[in-house]
Amino acid sequence: MGKPTAILPAVVLSLAAVAGLKLQLDGLPRAKVPGAGVVYVPSGPYVKAASFGYSSFLADLIYVWAIQYYGSPEVTDRFDHFGRVFGIIADLDPRWIDPYLTAALIAHYDTGNAELALKMYDDGATRNPDQWIFPFEAGHYSQMQLKDFERAKAYYQKAAEIPGAPDITKRLFANAAFKTMDYQTSWATWREVYETATNPEIKKIASNHLYQVKAAVDIAALKAALTHFQEARGRPAENLEELVSARLLTTLPTDFDGKDYVYDPKTGDVRTAVIPWKR
Amino acid sequence: MTISVIARNTFKEAVRDRILYLLLFFSGLTIILSRVLAVLTVGDRVKVVKDVGLASISFFGALMAIMIGTGLVYKEIEKRTIFTLISKPIRRAEFLLGKFLGLVLTLAVMLGAMTLIFLVVVFLHTFKVEFGLVLAVVFIFMELVLLTAVAVLFSCFSTPILSSLFALSFYLIGHFSWGLETLIKKTPAGAGRTFLRILYTLLPDLENFNIKTEVVQNLPLPAGLWLGAAGYGAAYTAFVLLLAVLVFRRRDFI
Amino acid sequence: MGNVLELRDVRKTFKLGFIPKPREVLKGVSFDVAEGEIFGYLGPNGAGKTSTIKCVLGLIFPDAGTISLFGRSPLDPRSKDKLGFLPENPYFYDYLTAREFLDFYAQLFGVAKGERSERIARLLKLVDMERASALPLRKFSRGMLQRVGLAQALINEPSFVILDEPLGGLDPLGRKEIRDIILSLRDAGRTVLFTSHILQDIEMICDRVAIVVDGRIHNQGRLADLVSEKILFTEITVSGLAATDLAAFGECVSVRDGRALVKVYAEDKVQGVLDLVREGHGRVHALIPRAQTLEDLFVDTVARS
Repeated sequence: MGKPTAILPAVVLSLAAVAGLKLQLDGLPRAKVPGAGVVYVPSGPYVKAASFGYSSFLADLIYVWAIQYYGSPEVTDRFDHFGRVFGIIADLDPRWIDPYLTAALIAHYDTGNAELALKMYDDGATRNPDQWIFPFEAGHYSQMQLKDFERAKAYYQKAAEIPGAPDITKRLFANAAFKTMDYQTSWATWREVYETATNPEIKKIASNHLYQVKAAVDIAALKAALTHFQEARGRPAENLEELVSARLLTTLPTDFDGKDYVYDPKTGDVRTAVIPWKR
Repeated sequence: MTISVIARNTFKEAVRDRILYLLLFFSGLTIILSRVLAVLTVGDRVKVVKDVGLASISFFGALMAIMIGTGLVYKEIEKRTIFTLISKPIRRAEFLLGKFLGLVLTLAVMLGAMTLIFLVVVFLHTFKVEFGLVLAVVFIFMELVLLTAVAVLFSCFSTPILSSLFALSFYLIGHFSWGLETLIKKTPAGAGRTFLRILYTLLPDLENFNIKTEVVQNLPLPAGLWLGAAGYGAAYTAFVLLLAVLVFRRRDFI
Repeated sequence: MGNVLELRDVRKTFKLGFIPKPREVLKGVSFDVAEGEIFGYLGPNGAGKTSTIKCVLGLIFPDAGTISLFGRSPLDPRSKDKLGFLPENPYFYDYLTAREFLDFYAQLFGVAKGERSERIARLLKLVDMERASALPLRKFSRGMLQRVGLAQALINEPSFVILDEPLGGLDPLGRKEIRDIILSLRDAGRTVLFTSHILQDIEMICDRVAIVVDGRIHNQGRLADLVSEKILFTEITVSGLAATDLAAFGECVSVRDGRALVKVYAEDKVQGVLDLVREGHGRVHALIPRAQTLEDLFVDTVARS
């Protein structure tokens, strides 16, 4: 029978043809349609119901697809339904952290839409109130990218309240408070850090910050007094003691180390005797 | 000649299988109900009808291919009707091919019926007969032919339930080829990557038959897709059928 | 006249079960079927009858040995052109009607359309299934399926017909009809091979037989040659004699209603019994000499193997 010997080579040949054609087909440019197929994907709860118990698996699949999809620059209007797509992933598997974080990154770097990025963090936080990472990252984002320290402060505070948050959260909060000129909170928090720190490095950092906060408060008070002096006497004070004798201040504040502040009567500038972080 | 006799008899057998009409009914129902779904959409309503229609034809067609294909050879062996058949002047390969072609013919008829319902529903929306949709169905048909071959292959040595699972896996793997592509991009160069590349080339890429998006959005098809896809389908189908012949050739029918 | 079928030293071992346990089914089967004869292939259940047939048909591939069907290998489709086959249990497409069923096989043989309907009608008449021609096979009884199956085996006007247990499950009238059909096939110059374990039928119509036990052929040849005409014993039914008197001549099998049934082994002793009857003024009711039957040979062969 001729058949037995002919079959095996035929199998190999057909497989080779398959491989060859596949490579050729890959080379063909298939038009990727903007927003294709995403127009009327139903909202999360419906998808979850339809996933028959495989919702987290489905979430995985959609997430992997989304990463590829949002990474294809040729689809120019792919961000039209960005929120919905990641909303669906979140609905399917709300406890999965990565998609929220990735979505925020994509939102920031690819669209520059800060509100969208923050929304992603907020969504994550809402569904996972026990995860410190969301307000933490949001705080970080607000601080580093938006330079919005009010928001950063609020986020860090929230993060710090969640058990398991890293120690640095408190410090970031204190720093943000300082930047928003909420000196009382900043001082109180840095004191806490200073007292509870076991690491000498951290104690040093805390002490430097306390120095800074005190300096800021003191210098503000001194400057206010100097302004009053100027208004009352019609001339700048010659030195800081004059402020005491003029009863504008009861005593002269000293810096955190007990040293005096330096006043330059020519410029009206008050500053610390030393550079805070070089103490 | 013998092949066509077997094919025609298989067609007769498949067409008398009630499950076919059940699936046809549900497919038609889905297409007609898409009209309701269209009312809920804002904007281009026809897109919904077209998308659901093509998805329905693809889905129910695949179900038909799998449900009937996986029983095709298995039933003959199980019910021992193959004893009488092999005692006639027919080669085993001819028997397989005849069974396969009979089912393909059945699918063509069923697909035709579904497409007719589909075109009518679309016509009621746009008052146009859209031949692009027919093209999409032709591509779907090519995919189903391959799926049928796979079902027949598994039917040669496996029970219908297992065969259905295998055929379904083939279908799913075929549509997630892009996942493998992403994986390859992320894998550092080396033996692992080469292995994945080989796997990627040999595993079925059923997305080559998916022109639903292009058709619905009225995008042009790249030149060579027609022939390329048809050739790919033919080559892969031939491969699968040859495997089936290989498996079937020296099998003892106890 | 040549041999339609030749088997030489055919061996087959099955490996069955999840952990393959080899079971040797055919241990070197050799026999020939000559043109124009009716060949009986018999053996107890599980001897390998159907397995042998499957090897001949190409359903099973023997591990060793050769099979020549019309001078060709069973794997060559041309060897089946003039072959007809009826399987043991009816395994037919139950979604077809009898007519469609026969039409299908006729088409496989390439019978022209006009010729087909004529042949189908003729065969349906032969097996007495005309009234059921439009009925789907799923509605057929066992006996009806057997008949329509025989029609299918003859659809190509074969010169060699293989029937696997064709008489099983039929009533005595049906068995006679099938036997007559087989004889008529032989008269028309065709060759028939059939397997059975109903020995009376084999005895009635076969020219040659082969007895297979446990995968081996133990006896083979012309029926007349295998089964000697020697008288084994004579059964005599008498009355009016005392059982004790009869004991000298043979074995007293039973006594009922005043009649005694005696089994006399020696031929000369038969005369002695008759003399006794005459002297005692008794009566002979029956005198039946029993020669070796195929059944005796069969039982003997099975016991010895």
